[in-house]
Amino acid sequence: MSDFQGMEDLLQDFLVEATDLLSGVDNKLVDLEKSPGDRGLLNEIFRGFHTIKGGAGFLNAHELVSLCHLTENLFDKLRNGEMDVTPVVMDVILDATGIVRDMFGSLERGMQPTAANPGVMSRLRAALEGQLSDGTDPAATAAVAAAATAAVAAAVAPEPAPAQGVPSAAAAPVGAEPDWVSLHQAVTGVVPSAPQAVPEPAAARSANDAGANAVVNAAFGRRAGDRPGTSAPAGRRDAEKSRDNSIRVDTSRLDQVLNLSGEIGLTKNRLTSLRADILAGKADSDTLHALDAAVSQLDLLVSDLQNAVMKTRMQPIGRLFQKYPRIARDLARSLGKDVELVLAGEETEIDKTMIEDLSDPIIHLIRNAVDHGVETPDERMAQGKPGKSMVRLEARQEGDHIVIMVADDGRGMSAERLRAKAIEKGLITDEEANTLDERSSLNLVFLPGFSTAATVSDVSGRGVGMDVVKTNIQKLNGSIEIRSTQGKGTTFVISLPLTLAILPVLLVRLVEQHFAVPLSMVREILPIQQEDIQEVGGRATMVVRGEVMPVLPLARLLGWPQKNHPQYGVLMQSAESSFILAIDSFAGREDAVIKSLDDFRPKGVAGVTTLSNGQIVLILDMKELLSSMGDTRGVSRSSLIGNIARAA
Amino acid sequence: MSDPKMKFLVVDDFSTMRRIVRNLLKELGFTNVDEAEDGAIALQKLKAGDFDFVVTDWNMPNMTGIELLRAIRADAALKALPVLMITAEAKKENIIEAAQAGASGYIVKPFTAGTLSEKMSKIFEKMNQKAA
Repeated sequence: MSDFQGMEDLLQDFLVEATDLLSGVDNKLVDLEKSPGDRGLLNEIFRGFHTIKGGAGFLNAHELVSLCHLTENLFDKLRNGEMDVTPVVMDVILDATGIVRDMFGSLERGMQPTAANPGVMSRLRAALEGQLSDGTDPAATAAVAAAATAAVAAAVAPEPAPAQGVPSAAAAPVGAEPDWVSLHQAVTGVVPSAPQAVPEPAAARSANDAGANAVVNAAFGRRAGDRPGTSAPAGRRDAEKSRDNSIRVDTSRLDQVLNLSGEIGLTKNRLTSLRADILAGKADSDTLHALDAAVSQLDLLVSDLQNAVMKTRMQPIGRLFQKYPRIARDLARSLGKDVELVLAGEETEIDKTMIEDLSDPIIHLIRNAVDHGVETPDERMAQGKPGKSMVRLEARQEGDHIVIMVADDGRGMSAERLRAKAIEKGLITDEEANTLDERSSLNLVFLPGFSTAATVSDVSGRGVGMDVVKTNIQKLNGSIEIRSTQGKGTTFVISLPLTLAILPVLLVRLVEQHFAVPLSMVREILPIQQEDIQEVGGRATMVVRGEVMPVLPLARLLGWPQKNHPQYGVLMQSAESSFILAIDSFAGREDAVIKSLDDFRPKGVAGVTTLSNGQIVLILDMKELLSSMGDTRGVSRSSLIGNIARAA
Repeated sequence: MSDPKMKFLVVDDFSTMRRIVRNLLKELGFTNVDEAEDGAIALQKLKAGDFDFVVTDWNMPNMTGIELLRAIRADAALKALPVLMITAEAKKENIIEAAQAGASGYIVKPFTAGTLSEKMSKIFEKMNQKAA
């Protein structure tokens, strides 16, 4: 099944490291476009391809080796000043980088990559010989296109030969060099075949070549730019899962874990000896005091250990951010916009499993910013803005949350237009539209089936809407909100818990049963006085500091009978709504370690956790509970307190 | 001369590659292996510890393999150290440059344990000749 039997470990290592390297290369390419003469950058990119080539050789990935080899040679010429970085050369390089990434994709699926697109290979060779025509020639007329097709077909045929030829030529010196000394002596004499000579494809540079390049470029360059969206076939998930199994951890963090487990061992020994004393009847105050001290110490150590272990799962988000400047650049170019993606807070650490799940939503937000958010340079100039637009991708930690922002300085969003659009699409009624404030109006974009672009471009309109972004963020227990100022720009703010493994919860009680609700949604806890509950539009509500909130009894959400008059209300806030959860009482907060119910998952239950006293408690999924209720606006006052009022 | 206790320093900025070389050395019976990420770190380690053999990549940040080789040859305490260059640079100029800088051997990636063993035994042979 796999082409890499016996080499899985090596393959995994290679992929993890080489993918990082390639992302670095991608970023440097974007920088290189800004400062084409930068020797340092050229050198680093050269080294990137060179290193990937070296590793690929051990995996027998010949196609990857030949591609990297050509690209590396090109950079060798560039860094030695034998050639200049022109936009045409840049395009070839970017295409080649894209193909390298594709090849990593097949490696991830355990398959040897197939030969690189011959068009790109021949353009690389052409670039190497300085014969790459600049694509400014608008020769893609029907006649030329026909000729070009023939040229491409011709280029396909000789392809396998050079692809095989390069690695074997590169490997030649290993076998062909019998003795080091003799080679040394051969310095002045004739040296056997120069291994770097690249076989010239049979398809010679004809007059049609410019056309061929243009056509090949149109056919494949486009795909290179689009990759992020198209690279999500079913197979990828599996590959990602297999990669989930390994993680790179800073050794100092592992040392800390080791150190803490050692100390816990020592404390355990202390407890064991104290137990022996106590069982032997020695229970004086000194012994008990020592026991108390030992337990306290254990407490401290275990929580330190938990933190330390958690940290091993944390990775800098920069790993994820790295690949975006390239995507933004490709996209901006294809749309004729001038966009710079500015990264900030790359060192912010985030749970590794989240990093992978965040990748697609962020790509979508960046696409959205570049496609819909920012204007074309002309439009910007007309409004007195600088022609170049900035899209800022920033991460930072705020308390126990990670905040990720995608901000553009474009035209902003019009609440008015969004409402009109939603009505037109039949997503909301006129009446509903009138009740929406600015924030709720912006949130309309998260409704399934909503798209603001008048014409759905093939860039953002890929069927993956903002609703999917939102769903994905919510799956991570996060939330997303929009801030927008017309004419100034739009900012999407994603807020995520630090980790998925530990969830701070509020324990609430209903009758005799405890439930846990995510603390991230809790804004405050209020006592409920019967007279505070008012009926507005047939719904029980409470006024909290001038804000009218619906009161939802937990009993009702769970489908239990309302037996008592609820004593407390928990003001819960989620991205789309605020409400008061009416409960009997609460028992405090706890850091819950979530155990998911794998096979059996009742609606509205996110998982279970064990309390310090050993009791098992259900963790409620508020969003699911609310949606299962259907009508989230509340219940009538009498159903809430009616029978109790009668009893009173 | 090929004492299995020999201490190796494997220099490469690509950790996968260091692991490959380390594994190949293990196959050949050499288990005393340390690693360095670039020439500068390698040189520091070499000056501090009693290494018997250096296996280095060419292209690395901070200090390249060829610079490391020159530094080793220029250092009175280290200059007799065998240095095997392992690199994907298969160009004539590179091989010549390495030879002129005093490399003890040169291997082009990718290679097998057999190739490595062959190159190493050649280096040992030469060293023994000199010693004799």
